[in-house]
Amino acid sequence: MGDNSRRSKVECDERGNPRSQWEVFVRQRESEPMCHVGSVAADSEPAAYEHASHLFDRYAVDVWICPAAEVGRYSARTLSAGGDESRVSEP
Amino acid sequence: MISISKLLCNLDAEGDGLRYDAASESSKPQIADEKQRKPVVVWNATRRCNLYCSHCYAAAETTPATGEFTTAEAKRFLDELADYGAPVILFSGGEPLVRSDLVELVAHAADRGLRPVLSSNGTLLTPEKATALRDAGLEYAGISVDGLPERNDRFRGHDGAFDAAVSGIEHCLDAGLKTGLRYTITEANAADLEGVVDLLVDVGVDRFCFYHLDYGGRGGEIIDADLSPSAKREAVSRLCDLTLDYHDRGEEIETLLVGNYADAAFLVEYALETFGEERARAVYEYLERNGGDPTGERIADVDYQGNVHPNQFWQGYSLGNVRDRPFGDIWEDESNPLLSALRNRESHLTGRCSRCQYQSICRGGSPLRAATTSGDPFAPDPQCYLTDEEVDGANPVVGDVAD
Ligand code: SF4
Repeated sequence: MGDNSRRSKVECDERGNPRSQWEVFVRQRESEPMCHVGSVAADSEPAAYEHASHLFDRYAVDVWICPAAEVGRYSARTLSAGGDESRVSEP
Repeated sequence: MISISKLLCNLDAEGDGLRYDAASESSKPQIADEKQRKPVVVWNATRRCNLYCSHCYAAAETTPATGEFTTAEAKRFLDELADYGAPVILFSGGEPLVRSDLVELVAHAADRGLRPVLSSNGTLLTPEKATALRDAGLEYAGISVDGLPERNDRFRGHDGAFDAAVSGIEHCLDAGLKTGLRYTITEANAADLEGVVDLLVDVGVDRFCFYHLDYGGRGGEIIDADLSPSAKREAVSRLCDLTLDYHDRGEEIETLLVGNYADAAFLVEYALETFGEERARAVYEYLERNGGDPTGERIADVDYQGNVHPNQFWQGYSLGNVRDRPFGDIWEDESNPLLSALRNRESHLTGRCSRCQYQSICRGGSPLRAATTSGDPFAPDPQCYLTDEEVDGANPVVGDVAD
């Protein structure tokens, strides 16, 4: 069994800025693994796929699209120090 | 960024080290000894804004957004940028001044050796805020104005925005901050250029920064509001004339063009016509060291959710998220084929860009505008205003350098 205690859940997974983010994975050659190549902003999966196709068409055999909000992320490194944080926007 | 004042008026400025390998030739202290290899990082510190501008690339809103960095997250993010060696952090938004911890974060960046600069609509820059930012180590404030008062206020969705921005500029200047104007040129406001420049020369700004419209954020929905290529050429030509004019009058204002590297080619043509071959050759050589469009190389953007973009306008595509991985690791990861292609774009450019005599000082212009209009980031920039003769012809200056 691996030690999962050193990883914690990465919060704030929606990533929308404000449009929904879709994680993009491409396989450049059939013999290669899928690689994460970032995310695109789009309102739907077909739109995300079309957007990703434009950017990665020439490099990809396969393209996978996944809603960024659906990815469970656990990491040993985190940007947040943990604990409560005050609001940063003034009213 | 292309400095008209440097290229046409020989004005040295501290930012030159970030654009040219010119440090050794400059009499002013330089913030980088050679053209930097690490990017200037634009950080959209918040999505929230007190205005609602029609061309906003960040699609900012007047209501708070979720997912913005807490103060602690922001500090750790700045630490990671400093560890990576980013030379400059540009606090942007939204309107960064709606973050109550902005002064604290500017101080933190300065402490960590990042050069903090600010992009703001100016309307929240009170004398106290300007002084606090200066004391925190802020090195430059760029304030956006987009036309004379009536047009600016309509554009920015807020009566009195123009006067408030000018007050903000004055408060920064009074606090001793280096302060400049940011002006996004569109079809609607191109006619106001001269009026705004006149007004702000009198106010005493240190820098004019003229942006071409890029096609991200709400800007993507207003492609129709962009100038036609010929009108764009005309506007840039007028800006060159204006810059020469106020420099002749002794107003040594640094004047920059941002967002369309056809401007680099145009400046060579302009210098050739105005000053002759020797000056045009010097301009070309400077621009060649500058290296053309910086997307994915010398400029990066991190949005309020932590998504890393190839430049500040390209909000629709993200290379990764700093909540998942430190910025430097994302930026250095050239297993991403698009990032790698952007850094070797000479071998990917298509159409007339692939044979353009100015390719080495332009590099195909904006890959975002190309992607937005044709789907292909390496297609010619739709806002390139060079004639076919200029693209295919043999400018004697370029020919000589190539030989
Ligand atoms: S043709 Fe392409 S490379 Fe040449 S100036 Fe225009 S956009 Fe730049």
